[in-house]
Amino acid sequence: MRDNANRSGSMPSTAPHPPGATGHLLPQAGEGRARRLQSNTRPWPGRRRRAAGLTQRYGHLWFVLPGLIMFLTFIVYPMASAVWLSFFDWKGIGKNFNFVGLANFHQALSSPGFYRAAENNLVFFIAILIFQHTIGLLIAVQLNARPRFMQVYRTILFLPTILSLIATGFIWTLILSPNIGLLNPLLRQIGLGFLARSWLSDTTFALPAVILVQAWNLLGWSIIIYLSGLQNIPQELRQAAEIDGATTWQTFWRVVFPLLSPSFTSLTVLTFIQIFRVFDVVYVLTGPMGAPAGRTDVLGTLVYRTAFGVGGMSSNDARMSYAIAMSVLIFLIMGAVSVLLITLLRKREVEA
Amino acid sequence: MSTLAAPRRQTSRRRSQRTAAIARHALLILASLVVLVPIGYTIIASFKDVPEFFGNPFGLPHTWQWQNYVRAWTEARIAVTLPNSIIVTTLAVTGSTVLSALIAYGICRREKPFAMALYVFFVSGMLVPVQMIVLPLFLLLKAIGLFGTLFALVFPYTALGLPLGVLILTPLVAALPRDLSEAARIDGANEWQIFWRVILPLMRPGLASVAILNGVWMWNEFFIPLIISVKSSTQTLPVGIMSFVGVYSTEWGLVFASVVVSAAPVVVAYLFMTRQFVAGLTAGALKG
Repeated sequence: MRDNANRSGSMPSTAPHPPGATGHLLPQAGEGRARRLQSNTRPWPGRRRRAAGLTQRYGHLWFVLPGLIMFLTFIVYPMASAVWLSFFDWKGIGKNFNFVGLANFHQALSSPGFYRAAENNLVFFIAILIFQHTIGLLIAVQLNARPRFMQVYRTILFLPTILSLIATGFIWTLILSPNIGLLNPLLRQIGLGFLARSWLSDTTFALPAVILVQAWNLLGWSIIIYLSGLQNIPQELRQAAEIDGATTWQTFWRVVFPLLSPSFTSLTVLTFIQIFRVFDVVYVLTGPMGAPAGRTDVLGTLVYRTAFGVGGMSSNDARMSYAIAMSVLIFLIMGAVSVLLITLLRKREVEA
Repeated sequence: MSTLAAPRRQTSRRRSQRTAAIARHALLILASLVVLVPIGYTIIASFKDVPEFFGNPFGLPHTWQWQNYVRAWTEARIAVTLPNSIIVTTLAVTGSTVLSALIAYGICRREKPFAMALYVFFVSGMLVPVQMIVLPLFLLLKAIGLFGTLFALVFPYTALGLPLGVLILTPLVAALPRDLSEAARIDGANEWQIFWRVILPLMRPGLASVAILNGVWMWNEFFIPLIISVKSSTQTLPVGIMSFVGVYSTEWGLVFASVVVSAAPVVVAYLFMTRQFVAGLTAGALKG
């Protein structure tokens, strides 16, 4: 919380170095590779020129190798394996392992539960998006005006973003719960007792309540992104507009807001990816069933429940392959929509 | 800017500026309260005993139950889950930061074979939905015998931290002047020495961003350990809290004490290094 909020203060290049960012996790592996590199990069007199040329051309790949192995083993292989498993009828336990082709995909696309969850995700996404592009932008604009205590406000307003969704969920359980929640007693004390209800098991209010909790956690992202977008806008442009007689309001909408379109793009795509993966907050607040009556069920909880069964890990109704097929489907849809979003939003961006 | 305006307009302008400043502070204070009040009440709640949750919902505890924290240590198994979280996050942050720095150095020159392809390959890993890989990952870890150890989390976290690391670090390395490594090469340094002694120190701000961004999600991650850390001895904090809640759903004081303990390390680190966190989060958010 130092006091120098210089314009470039949020750029990574000006941040002082952190403690312990560079550790020595893999010294043996590194040394081994170093020795090989050493022997490869020295222009040995007797060595054939072609070998030296190969090192020159492909030597850099040694640096990529350890990370590549990690990436292939723990991300690419599981993805390929997911696609493979989605063509079978395997339940996760038991010997049943028959090829069923696209049957799992067909079943997912014709099940109302899948659409209900997807619809909840969509509502979730739109609500959070509106929240971030209004309240987040408004707060970022206020912070960008560099009021006194700007550092303090910024520190406080980013705080929820670094909290886990589990912690966030419990923080809001303390407000919303019908047992220990503070909201209902508060409403009764100020004479609005008729509004009190069990927010998280009310069919109308459960989804909005869950969305608000997630919005509280995500607010920091929109402030961060818009604030750094605002800081990148040259002051001269605004001054020029003001000299030309534009009001503050006109300057914002005609000059500043169009220049924020890259921030708009980043935030929209980031929110889309975050919200279609949403799981934790629903799990904590309304449980893996998406209570009440599936009103808060999202794709994340649906896949989880399908994979392991309603009764918890490895129960009888677990359907691993079907769950994996759903997750493949979600990935394909997410990938397509992300690309579409990026293409559409980039088109309307203006050069600064 | 008021100095530019004509003197006649100055007073009214100054007055409207003051009104704007007051409105601005009112808004920011309101927003700060929306953040701080729930957090404050959570801390207060962690010192209450169960009857006070119902009898005295708004006030401070009549007697501060430090006992909640002592009991949470054993009964909510923080004694197990806190060290687990620390070990997993430390190893995975270190691993993903170092490995992505290596990759970034390896592919920083576009003209080298495969450099661009590898960059795109790693970065597109950002789009991988955890939901899709976690189930096959569960099967893979069982097959290779890592299941039931902390490495069942460390390795996947490390791999999942790479896309962001490559995304942030590659442009940084590429922007370093080539003369630096050329000079070191002429002085007889090999590629490994150049990386370790010349390139890595220059990447520090970027490494900090990568470590912070990955560290925060790794510490907070819930979905992966929920499925992979089935053994209670390998659970991390978020999963530990949830499984405790399932068993003792009425011990609210202990639940909130656990929540405070799980959030405290990240919050303290954040308060001490706010600027680095903000810089790191900005770098990640804009590129993500």
